Amino acid sequence: MKVRITLFGALRDADPHGFVELDAPESCTIGTLRDLLREHLREHAPQISAGLVQRSAFASEDEILHNHRTLPENGQLAILPPVSGG
Amino acid sequence: MSDLHTAVIDICDASLDPVAALAFVSDPRFGGIDMFIGKVREHNLGRVVTGVSYDLFEPLALNTFQEIGERARRKVGGPMKVYIAHAKGDLRIGDIAVIVAAGTPHRDEAFKACRMAIEAVKHEAPIWKQEHYTDGDSAWSEGCSLCEEHREAEQTAAKRGAAHEHGHDHDH
Repeated sequence: MKVRITLFGALRDADPHGFVELDAPESCTIGTLRDLLREHLREHAPQISAGLVQRSAFASEDEILHNHRTLPENGQLAILPPVSGG
Repeated sequence: MSDLHTAVIDICDASLDPVAALAFVSDPRFGGIDMFIGKVREHNLGRVVTGVSYDLFEPLALNTFQEIGERARRKVGGPMKVYIAHAKGDLRIGDIAVIVAAGTPHRDEAFKACRMAIEAVKHEAPIWKQEHYTDGDSAWSEGCSLCEEHREAEQTAAKRGAAHEHGHDHDH
């Protein structure tokens, strides 16, 4: 399935469109998607550190999705680097 | 009318308004009101800051504010009104970045709810701060990971008495 990952904060530098699209296996976990994204960025945005992807969380519009969760059916996700509000 | 108000305010549309926050948490039942106002300051970690840009994942930020308000209500356990608003966009020095206000019957619950809510907003809400400096450089602030493995590692480090409670170098 096609997955669109919206970028925020320091990860916006990974793609000028503000998102990355990946092909992921049906019902794959967030942990697997994290590995796919790390590989994609290593190739297409080498300035982004793998450590930043590791410290980031995936989320839907409603909640944080931890590594054991499966991809949402609509294929829409956000990746959230460490937060610094306030 | 709800007793919890949450907002993300685009600085292009309006400034954050402490008077509106005060009005929202005011109530004839409440004798105690506490308000925290966070402003953009001109120095951070030894560098002169000219402005700050805030990036937010708005739907989840609003969900998170709502959940924080409900958690504050459970902690206090009595009647309470909470107001949580955060700015989005490009802010100048002195602009208000965040307002958290709580109104309760007595001061103790108001202080507790307000403190809990602002700490949770800083550590849990999907918000990112980019600082701009006098030399034209800019940088995204170091922050708190929302990823469970890293949160656990940070909490373990805190329990071991690390110098900074989250094991990373930011300034709150």
